[in-house]
Amino acid sequence: MSDQNKSGGLIDRRGLIKTGAALGAASLLYPPKPSWGASETPIKIGMVDSTTGNFAVLGQSAIKGAQFAAAELNKKGGILSRPVQVLVEDDAGSPGTGVDKASRLLDQSQVDFFTGTTNSAVSLSISQFAAAHNKLFVCSGGHVDKLTGPACNWATFRTCSTTWIMTSGNSGTLVEKFGKKWYFLTTDYAFGHSEQDDYTKQVTALGGTIVGGALVPVGTPDFSSYLIQARAAKPDVLCLLLAGDDQINAMKQITQFGINKDMHIAGALFELEQIAALPEEARYGSWSFEWYWNQPKVPHVLDFAKRFAAANKGQYPSARVWFGYASVHAIALAATAAKSTDSVKVAKAMEGLTLPPEVALQPTLPTYRPEDHQLMLGMFPGTVNQHGKYPDLINVQAYVPGATIAQTPAQTACSISYPT
Amino acid sequence: MLVILFNAFNGLIQGAFYALMAVGLSLILGLNGVINFAHGGFMAMAAYFAYTLVPYVGFWGALIIAPIMAGGVGYVVEQLIVRRLYLRDPLYSLLATFGLALIIQDLLRTIWGAQGVPLAIPDFLNQPLSQVYFFLTGYRLFVVALAIISTTGLFAVLRFTRLGIRIRAGNSDLETIAAVGVNIYLLRSANFVLGIMFAGLAGILAAGQIGLTPTMGDQLIMPSFVAIVVGGVGSLLGSLVGGLIIGVASGVTAAVYPAATEVIIYVIMGIMLVARPRGLFGQEGLLE
Repeated sequence: MSDQNKSGGLIDRRGLIKTGAALGAASLLYPPKPSWGASETPIKIGMVDSTTGNFAVLGQSAIKGAQFAAAELNKKGGILSRPVQVLVEDDAGSPGTGVDKASRLLDQSQVDFFTGTTNSAVSLSISQFAAAHNKLFVCSGGHVDKLTGPACNWATFRTCSTTWIMTSGNSGTLVEKFGKKWYFLTTDYAFGHSEQDDYTKQVTALGGTIVGGALVPVGTPDFSSYLIQARAAKPDVLCLLLAGDDQINAMKQITQFGINKDMHIAGALFELEQIAALPEEARYGSWSFEWYWNQPKVPHVLDFAKRFAAANKGQYPSARVWFGYASVHAIALAATAAKSTDSVKVAKAMEGLTLPPEVALQPTLPTYRPEDHQLMLGMFPGTVNQHGKYPDLINVQAYVPGATIAQTPAQTACSISYPT
Repeated sequence: MLVILFNAFNGLIQGAFYALMAVGLSLILGLNGVINFAHGGFMAMAAYFAYTLVPYVGFWGALIIAPIMAGGVGYVVEQLIVRRLYLRDPLYSLLATFGLALIIQDLLRTIWGAQGVPLAIPDFLNQPLSQVYFFLTGYRLFVVALAIISTTGLFAVLRFTRLGIRIRAGNSDLETIAAVGVNIYLLRSANFVLGIMFAGLAGILAAGQIGLTPTMGDQLIMPSFVAIVVGGVGSLLGSLVGGLIIGVASGVTAAVYPAATEVIIYVIMGIMLVARPRGLFGQEGLLE
């Protein structure tokens, strides 16, 4: 009090610190009312994904999906009557950072499971880390084939499709409709290489030829020089195998050069987030979408979309949101079936797990295949709805169940053995 | 062969763009002695301002107003942060502006969201002028014209106006011009704001051809730094020439070995730092 009198009634620095300390101590005396019993420690899911860097937009969608799923689970009693927590760390799109963050989640927060990743290179590094530390990892968004192929392990499951499933989703239609001469603009890392290999195999098997291609470094702002090469090759189909913000940059510049009038623009991955970031004239092309919020005949989907949008300032769920959402629900379902949080037991319960309709949110119910731990996710090949208003930006033309186009377990060359 | 010529020509256009981005950076580095790592952040900020303004004042109105708004923010930043660092080791301002870059990025993300937003440019600019030289779009020519106009305009200001003469004098000897009665604090504020306005202009133009996201500046800032190092620190002509050199080099590389288009500009920078550390037109002694 005397301090206050000296400074004429105004609180001074010391006073401020004291008040702050008192407030801090008071919050220890009166903790917020717990909604769970004190003995029920939360089940922690460590999510490593991009909140900064080239994949930040996509990563944040997956995180929102995962958090939405955790909130849903907690409303219905959590997992094994314990609350669920999703702890997020940013990998900044880099494999090294990803492993550092995973290690921090394990050491400091003692997470029970891992999920997340958008950049395939990060997915591969987290997969190894998780197996080495005996923790389950459900990869939500890295597509590279070998994650559930030669590089597979017992601890790793994947919710999004493989690049093979994605490319098979539309390669036949593209060759038939638009032509046999293909040119690739491919992002220069594991994901792009994998996509290009898969398309090359499929297109040549259908009698097509690859007339050229260029590898583009991640984070390239200027595509003009690549586009000069592409146009000189005179392909029927210009296949864009880019990721993150790169695809937006490329699409904008293709429009300005008028190249989309000379050849058909197509590719595997194109995301709702990316389409929304493009001006109307730069919205076009044929793509293999992995999930869409508008499936009029499928129960639960519209309801999910509306609930999600209401909780996220009107943002509609994208494929990325669904990946995060389904991954967390899959962990919950497997842990419940295993009646345990032990990663080996949960992994065994997840083998052959079929997602129920309210989680699958698509016409057929996909299963995590026991042989390689890959979810048999269906594809939604279609085109961009150029003049649509957000979120109505995709014209889905078909639905292809994943199991009908995936490589067989023998082809993926995965062999799984559990720790003894 | 034709493809290589195309690419070289295209590189010139791209280089003009790098130069425009580098000019503001170079101004601030020259007189304020600050390596402004937040330059990319200011670019993105102005582009977001423009995105918000377009529905009210149109693209052209936004192109004028948004850089001025960014300049206003730049003024506040200079008064609150940058001004305190002038007399210190350059490392301080490097760290401060780096932190500022992260703060700006997160602010943009908080206000406009992480998802990119579409900034549309006028239709008549958004198409190629010729079928053969399809990479000559109205928009890119406009950017080149603006790069030329603004750099020559800046040259004229620096050459013929009192402010410009003071800026140049300050560049070579700040203490002496302070001693003859020039208010160098005011001068440096004005210079910082001018630099940020250039950043804003470049940012809006960039958002016309690449995606407008909070991280947009990250993709653009490195080529501008390289342009400055190659052209010479403190020299505006150097920044211009540096931008053109790296533009053409990465354009020609794209024709020969596309995967190296990014790395080539750093190779050029490395060679320059070894062979002639002050850059092509840099002042003797700077960075040497």
